Amino acid sequence: MTGEHPALALRGLAKRFDGKIAVAGVDLDVPAGSFYGLLGPNGAGKTTTLSMAVGLLRPDAGSAWVLGRDVWADPVGAKQLLGVMPDGVRLFDRLSGAELLAYHGLLRGMDPAVVDQRATELLDVLALADAGRTLVVDYSAGMKKKIGLACALLHGPRLLVLDEPFEAVDPVSAALIRDILQRYVTGGGTVVFSSHVMEVVQRLCSHVAILADGTIKRVGTLEQVRGERSLEDVFVEVVGGRTATGEELSWLSR
Amino acid sequence: MAVPVNAPTSPVRRVSARHFVRLKLRVMGNNFRGQGWRAALFVAGSLIGLWFAVGAFFGLAAPGLAGDDRYALLIAAFAGGLTVLGWLLLPLVFFGVDETLDPARFALLPLTRRTLVTGLFAAALVSVPTVAVLVALSGLVVTAGVFGGWAAALVAAVGVVTGLLLCVAAARAVTSAFASMLRSRRVRDLAAVLLAVAAALLGPLQIAGLAAISDTDWDRLSGLATVIGWTPLGAPWTAGIDVAQGRAWAAPLKLLITVATIVALLAWWSRSLESAMTGTASAGPTRGRPEATGGAVAQLFPRATGWLRRDRFGALVAREARYWWRDARRRANLITIAVVGLFVPVMVNLGGQGFSLDSEQGFSLAGDTSPLLVSLSMLFVGLLAAVTLANQFGFDGSSYAANVVAGIPGRLELRARMAAFSLYVLPMLAVVAVVIALVLGEPTWIGFMAGTLVATYGVGLAVNSFVSVLGAYSLPETSNPFAMNSGAGVAKSFLTLLAMLATAAAAVPMVLAAALLGDAWLWLGLPLGVAYGVGGALLGSYLAGDVLDRRRPELLALVTPRR
Repeated sequence: MTGEHPALALRGLAKRFDGKIAVAGVDLDVPAGSFYGLLGPNGAGKTTTLSMAVGLLRPDAGSAWVLGRDVWADPVGAKQLLGVMPDGVRLFDRLSGAELLAYHGLLRGMDPAVVDQRATELLDVLALADAGRTLVVDYSAGMKKKIGLACALLHGPRLLVLDEPFEAVDPVSAALIRDILQRYVTGGGTVVFSSHVMEVVQRLCSHVAILADGTIKRVGTLEQVRGERSLEDVFVEVVGGRTATGEELSWLSR
Repeated sequence: MAVPVNAPTSPVRRVSARHFVRLKLRVMGNNFRGQGWRAALFVAGSLIGLWFAVGAFFGLAAPGLAGDDRYALLIAAFAGGLTVLGWLLLPLVFFGVDETLDPARFALLPLTRRTLVTGLFAAALVSVPTVAVLVALSGLVVTAGVFGGWAAALVAAVGVVTGLLLCVAAARAVTSAFASMLRSRRVRDLAAVLLAVAAALLGPLQIAGLAAISDTDWDRLSGLATVIGWTPLGAPWTAGIDVAQGRAWAAPLKLLITVATIVALLAWWSRSLESAMTGTASAGPTRGRPEATGGAVAQLFPRATGWLRRDRFGALVAREARYWWRDARRRANLITIAVVGLFVPVMVNLGGQGFSLDSEQGFSLAGDTSPLLVSLSMLFVGLLAAVTLANQFGFDGSSYAANVVAGIPGRLELRARMAAFSLYVLPMLAVVAVVIALVLGEPTWIGFMAGTLVATYGVGLAVNSFVSVLGAYSLPETSNPFAMNSGAGVAKSFLTLLAMLATAAAAVPMVLAAALLGDAWLWLGLPLGVAYGVGGALLGSYLAGDVLDRRRPELLALVTPRR
């Protein structure tokens, strides 16, 4: 671990779409070796923030550093250290799982022999080897998440950025993904992932940030953010949901 | 206190076609919001469309304006018939159907089929092509009016409007039927390919037909026109002429034929619409592919790319090569190039009196061609091949994010894409040069023909690199392989036209050389052409690569479909 640099540092990241503010200045420090959960309701700006942090979306203002390297000034250096699994983005899904892994590995400038060996291992561990030459487009949603994770892990990145890794994944696959991520963190890697599933975040994360309306509302270690309460209570309080008293939708009850 | 859920308190208001039309206009408008260039392209494309429509208007009004009613029926029957055929077939491959209002979105609403069909039909009428066709075919009203007075003009106007309804109904019914038939991806891929062949043949057949017409007895064609006039293809368009020429009894019959056809088409559409709404696109059966052999890397590289180094460039080329074959949209493009590339030069050089520059020389086979004319037709083929890449990033869609995350240098990326496409296109171009030279009986021309092809293709790649980086647009990810975002269709034609013009301009030296250098060109053509093409392509990738490096995230945003 580099020690002096955080694995991911964001300063004043902001983005607006068509005059609507999606992210309004996000500052975040992700310590190296942490398991970082980015929480937020739908439309809070999680995907936008992560996209700007990894170089997929150019921010209107602010900057992002991966282990001290500026993502937008030194993209090549930053992207080498980075493994990304975006959400709502297609993979090159007219390839089979093995072909896709080989493509990602070679794009990262890896040695073909290493690519072969790691691809075989990853496909075995993620239980995708049975799919054989089935094209990724014909995979189920959970299988697509798993192959996406494999693509992000293949080149052994120092920082893993995952957007909604547990969305649409069945419990068995989710447990598998959790195990792999935990091993990765134990081995010195850093994981940042977004989610709105409190239970998963509470179980996995060492650090948590709550994002709502494009700004960070709470940030710190899991214990600091949670305090004596459950994470869900804190989340609902911060986001300010549940104002309905039951009077409004009276026609719903018979 | 509560009201039962199953008893609505207020009576349900009727949903009329007006709602659908307004919805469509609203969706179209929202598509342009915040994207000024898109609106500008839309306006420009619409103006060009109207320009052509006005031209066609005068063409169709010509018999009336000239006061000669001999060919009035002929023109009405053939022009109208071709219009219907065009509406029927072209959307399937070239332009796509406007899926602004996707029927699947209405699946959960409590609408009767009749409401839905009339609504969607009314919404489909609101488009630039319908307006353009209406303007163009109104020329028939003028013709009918000149010869038959107000009554004939009125009948012709009714005929043109019902004819237009027929066109739209036919296009909708056919594409909807196909879309629901083609649920599984494999069948869909296959059908897209077959349709591409059919549509690619349409152009050459038309040229052949026109060449034949110029040679045939016009009176015999009038007989054919009379027959066509009694089919749904020609019925709506010829009714007005019939009145003008004293066959008033035919007009109601022909209008009846048209209306009956429209009703039948709408009924067919409404049947396929239901299955289009309820069925979800299945991924299709798992392929019975052979078991994987070798490591992951060996699997990625197709056999034809086995010589490539196993590095970033190699991986990009291998993936692109796989995609040109596995992605139905791309494969359809390849087939179009192959078919058009062979047929157009043959037609231009052998057949078309009206098309050859020195048409006075007569009609003898292989006698009326020249190195200049051959060069021009080769230029067209090379240009057509290269323009396929005008939206190369749009084919990738959001999956392009993988390349952005990996941080591929722009020059490397563009070179790899050119190389992969050339794996398919260069052999095709070679075949075109050899076959055309042999058909023309001029085997010594192979050299400069191939040279012109490669030169045009090469500079075309350069031009289209820029177009693809700067003017990319997203292709929809729907179950309908023929779908196309509204607005994007117009933008697409406009950009394609621009890219073709620029390519043609860049390839002019090859044609000039063919005209000026004489026999020396037979030997110099190949080496000079290849050097020009390769040099152009490399320079293009070099310059456009820098642009790509600067606007990679913006490009990703452009090709990602909006949801």
